[in-house]
Amino acid sequence: MGFLTPMFLGGLLAVGLPVWLHLLRKHKTTPTPFSSLMFFERREQSSIKHRRLRYLVLFALRTLLLILIALAFAQPYIQQKLLPLTRSGQITVVAIDNSLSMRADGRLDQAKRMAKSVIAGLHPGERGEVLAFGSRVQVMSEITDDHSPLNSGVDSIEPSDARTSYAELVRSLRSISQATKQPLDVHLYSDMQQTGMPANFNDLRLNAAVRLEPHPVDAKPVANFAVENVVAPRRVYDTKKARVLATIAGTNNQRAMRKVSLFLNQREIESKNIEVPENGRATVEFLSLEVPFGANRGAVRIDSGDALPNDDTFYFSVERVEPRRALFVHEAGETRGLLYFQDALQASGQSAFVLDPATVEQATNISPSKYAFVVLSDVPGLSPGFENELRSYVRDGGSVLVALGHETVANARVPVSDNRVDGTRYASRNGEQFQTVAWLDAGHPSIQQDNRWDNVKFYQAIRVNPGNARVVARLTDGTPLLLDEQSGEGHILVFTSTFDNVENDFPKDAAFVPFVEQTARYLGRLNDAQTAVFVGSFEELRDSKEKGAAVDVLDPKGERALSLEEAARAQNIQFTMAGFYDIRRPSARNELVAVNTDRHESDLTPAPPETLSLWQNTAQGTAGSGGESGPESSDAAPKPLSLWWYVMLAVLALAIAESWLGNRHLSVDKEAA
Amino acid sequence: MIQQFLDPAILASISGLDLIAKTVVNGFVAGLHRSPDFGFSQEFAEYRAYNEGDDLRHVDWNVFARTDRCYLKRYRGETNTQVLVLLDTSASMAYGSHSVHKLDFSRFLASSLCYMANLQRDAAGLIIFDEDVANYIPPSTRQGQIFRLLHAIEKAQPGTRTDFAKPFIHFQNYLHRKGLVLVLSDFYADPDLIVKTVEPLRFRGNEVILFHILDPQEIAPKFREPMLLVDMENPSASLEVSPEYARHDYRQKIDAHIEALSSKTRSAGMDYFLMNTARPLDEGLREYLFIRQGRM
Repeated sequence: MGFLTPMFLGGLLAVGLPVWLHLLRKHKTTPTPFSSLMFFERREQSSIKHRRLRYLVLFALRTLLLILIALAFAQPYIQQKLLPLTRSGQITVVAIDNSLSMRADGRLDQAKRMAKSVIAGLHPGERGEVLAFGSRVQVMSEITDDHSPLNSGVDSIEPSDARTSYAELVRSLRSISQATKQPLDVHLYSDMQQTGMPANFNDLRLNAAVRLEPHPVDAKPVANFAVENVVAPRRVYDTKKARVLATIAGTNNQRAMRKVSLFLNQREIESKNIEVPENGRATVEFLSLEVPFGANRGAVRIDSGDALPNDDTFYFSVERVEPRRALFVHEAGETRGLLYFQDALQASGQSAFVLDPATVEQATNISPSKYAFVVLSDVPGLSPGFENELRSYVRDGGSVLVALGHETVANARVPVSDNRVDGTRYASRNGEQFQTVAWLDAGHPSIQQDNRWDNVKFYQAIRVNPGNARVVARLTDGTPLLLDEQSGEGHILVFTSTFDNVENDFPKDAAFVPFVEQTARYLGRLNDAQTAVFVGSFEELRDSKEKGAAVDVLDPKGERALSLEEAARAQNIQFTMAGFYDIRRPSARNELVAVNTDRHESDLTPAPPETLSLWQNTAQGTAGSGGESGPESSDAAPKPLSLWWYVMLAVLALAIAESWLGNRHLSVDKEAA
Repeated sequence: MIQQFLDPAILASISGLDLIAKTVVNGFVAGLHRSPDFGFSQEFAEYRAYNEGDDLRHVDWNVFARTDRCYLKRYRGETNTQVLVLLDTSASMAYGSHSVHKLDFSRFLASSLCYMANLQRDAAGLIIFDEDVANYIPPSTRQGQIFRLLHAIEKAQPGTRTDFAKPFIHFQNYLHRKGLVLVLSDFYADPDLIVKTVEPLRFRGNEVILFHILDPQEIAPKFREPMLLVDMENPSASLEVSPEYARHDYRQKIDAHIEALSSKTRSAGMDYFLMNTARPLDEGLREYLFIRQGRM
């Protein structure tokens, strides 16, 4: 306890006034003559003593009143750490971090022990709740004053591979505080990873009713090595050896040599020794990955020998598949378009598709359903049967790329999509001579990665009424150049020029190869699945055609990750542990998903004490008390709490009591006056 | 207006008991001049029709001669009563909580009574006593009697303690004929003892009136704080008294004392009158005249 203005304590000298009034002045008794004492008795002395006692009560009240007034001016304060003891109805929340980093050096067990000591210290009737948090918050016990469910909740917390998210914890605390309408005394047990802090500090803002007390567990910077990233092909279509590039990262480490190994299906393929610089990264390249058919489980491991072995392995999935076939329909004798398109497809480095050329007549007998996509390159007219087959093919999910040229104009409509052809647009020799692309929808998958079409010269373009189609590109005169129309489950992509290097010079432009590659992947539904994802990410389990069909998901332990009901209804799944998830869809679209722990967890650097102090103070809306006040010293550096109001309330109560008691004496005086 | 001049505090500012007595009596009588019930000497009282058995000596024959009807003419009695004023001058009579202490008040009352008796040609006498007889002026209607009385009253000084027994034995020796005995005292004694002492006067045919002179502070003491009280008749005795005791216990005792004295004196055929020194004198005079009228 201290005083903000101790000089006012000099006012305590005023206590001398009641001392003089009651103690000194009262004893001065003047003998008063009275006519006769025959009606007075000796026993009156007891009455006088009683009277004197009451005067002493009044004296005590007056003295105390003066003392309290002097104290009020001196503005006494106490340290705030005494305040929580007076908060009534508060709920003690024990929040334990079970993220990946808590696996290091038995931190989770240490946190549990510390949490149990807090639970043991709860007084009877004092309620508590146990939370476990990583990227999500799990309620491990209900709000209760019984210690056994609280301890059971602590015991049942298992280590996870999730990433620490303090923002998620704060959001849950706010929800609990609003739901219970009670003050929360939160004991946080975590390694206080810096990487667990949100980008926006405002996400850590606590309610006024929430008091946070961080208990850092082994919060020292610890050296750690991790395989930060692996770049490997998701699919391999040929027998060529694939290239794998791994990045090894070290945090808080000294320069060290580490052995990095490449595994495929748990068989070591190759290993290399690399030097990891201090607090730096090193890359290692493997060129010997020979992938057998089917889904394969790849991994890159490092012999780190550090406290956190769970980030020493990076899983990746690689699949060897046969290239898919695509149908290229063209006018007989017109093979320039086929030449350019096929070359572009091969030049893309992707051998995912093999092009089957066919003339219009040959295509009449071909069923398009076995092809990944179909290209109609300036065809004059299709047989009705084939065109109908194409339409149903598109409705069922197939895709068609239509290139329009002078042959198509004669039909006055676009094949398959039946969009009206309004005419043809020629660049005149005397006028602009050629047109260029004026506008591109960069979000379209066909041009998403390369949209530099500025140098392409278009001499002829077919003007098509877009109808419901999405216009992806326009020429300078506004003529739609690329249209994308969805029909059923499939897409019809209309290019209003040709690929033959006659009506434009697009096939010779650098943008042509990326366009063909991206269009083929888009139309062939060859998605860019990642070789690996992180714990906490989601994967779509089914599309609209697969509703109600069961999807089996085996987790890294080989157990079913979904219940029967979830297997029939769940739209997606969140990966909760590192390893390989085997997703088996009803349409035979099986997938092996490699899931890795978030590498943010590999950085075991704790948050600075200033940050934690600021976080604690967000509930009071005040800034941090300074750099020296760390989480451990938060109890040792309490904030002053003014007692002025309490003292003034006591002064008020004493003044009322003094007035009441004094009035009783004054009433005698008034009568005697 | 009249009452104002009878206020003891105002009378105290008047020098000379004779003047005080005149002021009191004249003002008092002037205030009562229309009253048919009061008068002195041979003043005409009333005419009344003659009834059989009436004394023929009172028939107004002049009226009978003029009207041929018998009327009785009534006069106020013209008896010479012996009035003896007994003035207590014990030490306790010197007590006073305001400008007029009990002895002053008693002086005013005694002088007024003597003056009034003198006007009525009653033989007024005076005995001043404390524990013994300090002064005695026999009752007389002689010229200058009033001045002797006033002089004696004025000279009276507070004496020692009160002892009724001793002086009253002397009174019985001084009283040779029946009369009116007025005792002015604070009567700090046992009521039984007082009545027993005074009672013989009544047995001898005297009308006895006890004027109990008390200060308001004696009737209802109001102390601001505990006080150390010293007995005026016995300075060695002192007590510390709390205001609460004075407000409750003492009042009960003094009220019981007054009540006992009043009831016992009245039951003994005497009259008792409590005089508060803060109140006007006319109450005492009225009481005297009331008794005096009863003696006609």
